[in-house]
Amino acid sequence: MQPFEDAPLSEPVQPLPMAASASAMRPLPKQRPSLTAGTGIDSHPLAQSEASLPLRDRRSNPSAASLFRSTLTPPGSRSASPAPSSIGTRSPSRTLSGSVFGGGGFKQSLLDTGAGDNPGDPLNLILKSFVPHIAIHGSKDVDDLVSEKGFTGGLWELLRPFGERIQGKVTIRDSNGGSRSWEDFSVRFTRFGDGVEAPDPMAGAMKSPPTTVSAAVNGQPTGAKFPLSMTRASLIAQVETVVDRHLGYAEDACMGVSSPTTPTRQGLDTDATSPYYALYLRRLLSGIPLACHESFAHPVASVMAISSRNPSPIEALRKLYDETSQGDRQLPVWVDGGYLRYYVLVHDEERSDITKSMALFDQMKRHFGLHCHMLRIRSSQSAETDDDSIPLPRSDWLSPAEELADIERSDHQDEEDFEDPTRRHIFESDATAIRTFIREMVTQSVIPTMERNISLWNDQVASRRRGISGRFMSLSKRWAFGSSSRTSGAGGASSDSSNNYGALGYYKPDTAEAIMRRLADFAFMLRDWKLAMSTYDLLRTDFQNDKAWKYHAAANEMAALALLIMPQNMSSKTRIETINQMLEQAYYSYHTRCNSQYGAVRCIVLALELLRLRGGSGVDEAVRWGIRLLETRLMGPVGDALLKERMAICYASKQGAGSQAWGSRRRKSALWSVLGAEAWISQSKFIQAQRCLNEARKMYSLLPGECGVQNFAVASDFLAHLNEQLKEGLRIDTQRGEGDDNYDNNADGLQPVEPELLVDEESETLDNRRKTRRTSMINPSGSNTELETAPLTTMAPARLPSVDSEESDADSSAKDGFG
Amino acid sequence: MSYYFAVIGTQDNPLFEYEFGTSKQGGDGQLRFSDQVRHLNQFVLHSSLDIVEEIQWTNGQLYLKAMDKFFNSYISCFITGGNVKFLLLHQPPGANSSNVIGGVGGIAATTTRSTSIGANPTSPQTEEAVKNFFTEVYDNYVKAIMSPFYKANMEIKSPVFRSRVAAAGRKYL
Repeated sequence: MQPFEDAPLSEPVQPLPMAASASAMRPLPKQRPSLTAGTGIDSHPLAQSEASLPLRDRRSNPSAASLFRSTLTPPGSRSASPAPSSIGTRSPSRTLSGSVFGGGGFKQSLLDTGAGDNPGDPLNLILKSFVPHIAIHGSKDVDDLVSEKGFTGGLWELLRPFGERIQGKVTIRDSNGGSRSWEDFSVRFTRFGDGVEAPDPMAGAMKSPPTTVSAAVNGQPTGAKFPLSMTRASLIAQVETVVDRHLGYAEDACMGVSSPTTPTRQGLDTDATSPYYALYLRRLLSGIPLACHESFAHPVASVMAISSRNPSPIEALRKLYDETSQGDRQLPVWVDGGYLRYYVLVHDEERSDITKSMALFDQMKRHFGLHCHMLRIRSSQSAETDDDSIPLPRSDWLSPAEELADIERSDHQDEEDFEDPTRRHIFESDATAIRTFIREMVTQSVIPTMERNISLWNDQVASRRRGISGRFMSLSKRWAFGSSSRTSGAGGASSDSSNNYGALGYYKPDTAEAIMRRLADFAFMLRDWKLAMSTYDLLRTDFQNDKAWKYHAAANEMAALALLIMPQNMSSKTRIETINQMLEQAYYSYHTRCNSQYGAVRCIVLALELLRLRGGSGVDEAVRWGIRLLETRLMGPVGDALLKERMAICYASKQGAGSQAWGSRRRKSALWSVLGAEAWISQSKFIQAQRCLNEARKMYSLLPGECGVQNFAVASDFLAHLNEQLKEGLRIDTQRGEGDDNYDNNADGLQPVEPELLVDEESETLDNRRKTRRTSMINPSGSNTELETAPLTTMAPARLPSVDSEESDADSSAKDGFG
Repeated sequence: MSYYFAVIGTQDNPLFEYEFGTSKQGGDGQLRFSDQVRHLNQFVLHSSLDIVEEIQWTNGQLYLKAMDKFFNSYISCFITGGNVKFLLLHQPPGANSSNVIGGVGGIAATTTRSTSIGANPTSPQTEEAVKNFFTEVYDNYVKAIMSPFYKANMEIKSPVFRSRVAAAGRKYL
């Protein structure tokens, strides 16, 4: 494979200060011609003087920045008009005479409120992660063809980024016959057989049967005996490491920037989620395991692909089919084998004969039915200099292990030519062909199949359970046959036919419970919240009776999420109680009974986010759950700090009613910002800490009391101390950065830089004392006017001489900005 | 069981602060706050003003019970007619050193003294005790602010007031 020229494109997604100031700096010294030849303006100042400092070897790689691209975009610049109206429009419905629980914001589906508009929003992430999974199984010649284009992972790697954004509108019909079209549908492509997680061993049935059963099930000899919490716990550790790396990169990256005071005024952003938090969520959600207790990751369809070069195509397809249904690559027993099979003929434009391929394609259609497609791509590798080549978009949904591997590789490879995986190119025609293929497959095969399955399962299984006769059925299950098997414990209770879970530790795919779980998951994926919620509700009691705890936890979790998203006419109080109950059960099952760290974290974090979006008393509930999660220490330090920031944003999003902002939680929000800043400083992430402190300052300045915690001696000492630590930390960074470059330190250098970050904030400051109650009430959200008094805002950049003046400024007003 | 009591004026400024430990049931009146969380107490108290301000308009009582909770600290409030707030932060013992097991550890540690006032901050006995404490402090507060040298929102520096508050704490809490 020929090495690529890694000329960094001028990335439109990096409007960071470093980009602007870099353009004023001298261009990269040409270390290695293959790396940097042809660089005009290098948009990464980091790639400058690294030779002297071994610490910075990652910076020597200009394209390493692309690995961290997802977090380098400051949130403010992403969306021009974030959705503050989503929260704001609901506040008028709150009245003073009402309870403290807030207004009836539950009338709308969360999606309709526009809460999920920004790409990094948790709602959006939830929608994009619980999507149909399509497994790809290609024959060897397809893999060869694709690897000739430069992709070693097979067809999956080529298709993956395109699945995340399906072009155009997708129309879905729900169970009532109504249809809705969505712009943002997506699917996830997986490799066949990836990510399987063995079912938990049944606690009581740990006699001889389980070992043989599970060995036959998934081909892993001692799978049943392994503590499963191990693999899932390490997932969280991996997510933590990934986000830590990103943060570390950002810290390093800002070292060379002119002044530490440049990002001073940017506080936390209520409307757009912090990119690190979005990254955390994404990585947490990107690896939904192929487990028995939730069928989101079970493939909805599988793509069998052969290429036009194959000597015996129909036999090859048959072979693929057999491999996946009976051979070694088959999925475990608890996965339903009735998923859609989709056959793809990959036609090599440059080497194969199109008429032959068309004939073959017709033959395929005759044999296999309508679920076929011919994908025409060029088999040669696309170099960047080609006219019509575009870079392969980087997949947003990498698993953390994969991303870590990428980062490690970039670390170790800076001595050789670094082949940036994201800089591989494909032809424009290829991209169009792939997009069309995916769109056709999804809209014409996958979604109709899912809809059909939903209505089938609904009629056959679920509606039977819902009516009065259904309740009798479950009752009889519990009492008539159940009692004898209960007393005998779970040992060898295979004779008990009413308990499908009993001896196996999982539900076989043809049992009613498994079918209903699939039905509910399909409904969730197709955004039919009501059906999903009602089915999950049914399942909750079933699983509880069967004592299938992991299933029980998962069902409760999804029921709570579905209930939070859908519109309903319950009063918010009763709804919150129901949700709390479900979450409580889910959390207890996950954490205590199943010891599943991942499940517990995912459940609480997602519920917290959705509760926050619901507003009113949901915000308090969200924070309550957040505190619960913090207490359990399930997340690592990075997650902890991110969560504290999130609590601050939760409280900040609760806007009060009336002129006194009755019901707002500004002081609480400031408290959490301070806690977050403390957490960040203890991990040396000073940029994040600075943002937290700024937010706290802003919040305190909004208070009518006008003095924040200034009069509490110990508290303001603490804040001053944090401030000092922060300055120390940032100063160390800049001094280190200063030693290397001799950039221009004058204030002019700051000007083009500032507006990029201070998008929403005015540069003039009003004196705090002169601020009247009136002005502070006009801007309750406070995000646009910066009413700061701190001398920090007028400081000169941190040159060594002015560092002293900075210090003296700080000393003289130790309680700056917090009063 | 440790307590942190503060009188907050109308501008969020503390007029009086006092920390003490329980003298009941074997407590020696000493503080049990660990150093690292002591500074947090003031923040927490300040932040609970948000809740106070929300509740005070819908609740007709002067004594608002334990209306806020932060990790394992409970905050009770008594509001005077002049919008001056008495806030009491109480922290049951056994759960303040780390937040690991949170409530579970706290409960386990205090099962032996489950009838003591400090152990369960939301029990009726505790509420009663705190209410009596507040009432006594309120009496003394009114006497303190009646001094002609006292202006609104000034700090209360009277040593007599401090000793009276301490006595009330020993008596009720």
